[in-house]
Amino acid sequence: MSGNAMIRRFLKSDFFYDFTHAPIAVVSFVVIMVIVTCAIFAGFIAPTNPFDPSSLELMNGFTPPMQPNAFTGDVFLMGADDQGRDLFSAILYGLRISLFVGVMAVILAMVLGILLGLTAGYVGGWLDNLIMRFADIQMTFPSILIAMLIHGVARGILPPELRYEMSITVLIVAIGLSEWVPFARTVRGSTMVEKEKEYVAAAQLIGLNRWQIMVRHILPNVLSPVLVIATITFALAIIAEATLSFLGVGAPRTEPSLGTLIRIGQDFLFSGEWWILLFPALTLLALALAVNLFGDWLRDKLNPRLK
Amino acid sequence: MSFIIANHLTRQYDLSDPWIVRMLTSNKRKQLTAVDDVSFSIDKGTTYALVGESGSGKSTIAKMVVGLLAPSAGAITFDGKMINDETISKADRQRLRRRIQMVFQSPYASLNPRWAVGDILKEPIRAFGLFDSRADQDKRVNELLDQVGLSARDANKYPHEFSGGQRQRISIARALSSQPDVIICDEPTSALDVSVQAQVLNLLKTLQKEFSLTYLFISHDLAVVSTMANKIGVLNEGKLVEEAVPSQLFAKPENPYTKMLIDAVPDFGKV
Amino acid sequence: MSDHLLEIKNLKITVATRRNVLNLVDNLTLAVKKGEILGLVGESGAGKSMTGSAIIGLIEKPVKISGGEIWFKGKRIDQHPDEVRGHEISMIFQDPMMSLNPLWRIGDQLIEVITTHMNISHQDAIKKAKHCLVEVGIDPSRMNAYPHTFSGGMRQRVVIALALAPNPSLVIADEPTTALDVSIQAQILDLLKQICKTRGTSIILITHDMAVISQTTDRVCVMYSGRLAEIGITKEIMAHPQHPYTKGLVASTPQIDASSFEKMLYQIPGSMPALDNIPSGCAFHPRCEHAHDKCRAERPEVLSNRAACWLLDANEGQ
Repeated sequence: MSGNAMIRRFLKSDFFYDFTHAPIAVVSFVVIMVIVTCAIFAGFIAPTNPFDPSSLELMNGFTPPMQPNAFTGDVFLMGADDQGRDLFSAILYGLRISLFVGVMAVILAMVLGILLGLTAGYVGGWLDNLIMRFADIQMTFPSILIAMLIHGVARGILPPELRYEMSITVLIVAIGLSEWVPFARTVRGSTMVEKEKEYVAAAQLIGLNRWQIMVRHILPNVLSPVLVIATITFALAIIAEATLSFLGVGAPRTEPSLGTLIRIGQDFLFSGEWWILLFPALTLLALALAVNLFGDWLRDKLNPRLK
Repeated sequence: MSFIIANHLTRQYDLSDPWIVRMLTSNKRKQLTAVDDVSFSIDKGTTYALVGESGSGKSTIAKMVVGLLAPSAGAITFDGKMINDETISKADRQRLRRRIQMVFQSPYASLNPRWAVGDILKEPIRAFGLFDSRADQDKRVNELLDQVGLSARDANKYPHEFSGGQRQRISIARALSSQPDVIICDEPTSALDVSVQAQVLNLLKTLQKEFSLTYLFISHDLAVVSTMANKIGVLNEGKLVEEAVPSQLFAKPENPYTKMLIDAVPDFGKV
Repeated sequence: MSDHLLEIKNLKITVATRRNVLNLVDNLTLAVKKGEILGLVGESGAGKSMTGSAIIGLIEKPVKISGGEIWFKGKRIDQHPDEVRGHEISMIFQDPMMSLNPLWRIGDQLIEVITTHMNISHQDAIKKAKHCLVEVGIDPSRMNAYPHTFSGGMRQRVVIALALAPNPSLVIADEPTTALDVSIQAQILDLLKQICKTRGTSIILITHDMAVISQTTDRVCVMYSGRLAEIGITKEIMAHPQHPYTKGLVASTPQIDASSFEKMLYQIPGSMPALDNIPSGCAFHPRCEHAHDKCRAERPEVLSNRAACWLLDANEGQ
């Protein structure tokens, strides 16, 4: 089927029709798209490059939004932070890091969760017990604690000169490893339902091995709830990234993510420089809320059982 | 000559509580005997029907014959070879699998909803290495669709685009695709409407003649069985209580359970 | 007063999808007499269950009754089904667990139904509940048992007891035996017949199984694609079906016949049309070997003949 035909079929589908008739879904989808586009094209949209120390003018520090700076006369849409960094630019670049960490962490959690869930559900027995009891144990800890633990271990293992370069990777691994359990549980449940169906017996009859049956037959049939969890986990991952960065164990101050920006802003909240905290926080709120609302709608649409 | 011989087949399921619970409550192990010492044989090119109500063990026997389930005791011989022999080589096992295929009960659960019909039919062809080139495989798929009364265009459609009866035809085509000698039909029409049921039963008969297939036909419906079987075995609670050719079974059933089953079938004549 | 307990006139049930409006039941007219068992037979999607739901008022959005009338004991009930539901008309479903609360003892469920619909004391309700159980062949000592302790057939008996408890004049049984084994099916059907005889309760038996119809019902109404194909006395229809579809249904139903494995079954070609693709004229014409131009152009109704088929008119004209 050509791409065009597929798009035409999608535009005619019930799924697309329901989407256009759900205002919340449309609005949240537009918000997500705007934020993602801004982040991807940050280099073109942002007036300055906040990661380039040479472009910073310390004299611009603490310039309020939309007011010319008393010394330089520069105007900043969302004001400037303590180092004279344009906050609007910093948010756009920060979004990039937040979104990248979020997407990669979800992919990691998803791959891991699907792999373990599929194996546990299909093979069953002691392997199922082992995987799922491990998941149970992990679920007794708040995921942010797990992420901090992994982060701490990584810092202990990595040589000091790599710590800075690897900080984003460590963040992704930490968040990814702390969020695989919901994927695994859902996939395991669907797998156990699917493996009793007769098409699986038919595949066994022609001598396919476990792995072939799991990947070729069962996997495609357990993916739609995974999509829903992925959206919701994506929102969680962005918040987790912000939290970790806020706690100072995430993205470095020189390449601030949304969370780092919020942490910086928090230092100045009580001295009256409210904008440094408010704008990054609002962006995070808008993003997380939009992703969650969209995920909720998707869940109702794809999996009526979960309602 | 008997093509398939089931010898003293027995299958037990372990329904005991977990070990730790047994230790605490001092309960004994619980065994459910789903199939109890069942023996029968099927001649080549004929249909043998197993009839029974739910829980009679008929589906368990079907699973053992195709090799999805190992018997607890007893053995099945197919064309002189033991099916459930642990020692046979992988290649031999695969050769056996090609020759025994199955048509399932549910037209909805037996086809992978994410696969196009053509791919569903090609999978066994590839798994058994029957046709190497893509063109030959496509040709074989068209031939199969034609044999079960569907059109070549249907190869690109997905299962949800078909009615229950058409899906069952696809399921039959899949069973045929490996050119088997034996097809196990596990309640193939019990989920279908009457007029469609007749179509599917007739199709099975036509195919049997064309390819000299041997059927093991599992059903709860004596009326359906009477239109299909050369020989009928009646199962009750895992035991084969009676076995006879239809004329004898319906005219003078010997076992009281068989008699009861026959009497229970609603009949047009008994208004 | 007519001897009709229930009359359905030109009933139309539709469901609106985003592309079009589908007719689930299209211009259905039938009547149920007092004390008879009327069979509604047809294949899946024929609209038989929908008709049952409409009578008892279980139609819910987006499905709606968009035309016609339902009259019960001289009152029109299609707009106000609550007045008769459960009290005058009750229903038996295919899956007994749909009607039973798994957390309640069956006695309590019976007493609840009785006290809701009848103005009697608790003591009398208990007596009545026991009586109902005896009537369906269950030992009244099992009043305190929970539904899961019963077998499938016994559960269906409990459901029948529940349906009969408020002394309804009409019971709608929707595939009551489809989930049961053959031997149990025969018992349940006998029970329904016996109830109809002793209580004078009318029963609408909805099923896909011609054999069940022929064994159980007094009159039968054959539905196809939401429309009435044929209606009449069961014996006559079984012996001499008029509509080609009924003929096909009767002929294609397998019967115990020791020699039939050598023959082919009669089969109707094709399958029932999808709801969004119902053919013009007679809905059955693409599958009918006798169809002519009029069948393709105009829709036949059940009028003077008992079957909705143009062929019958043609035969009469000759």
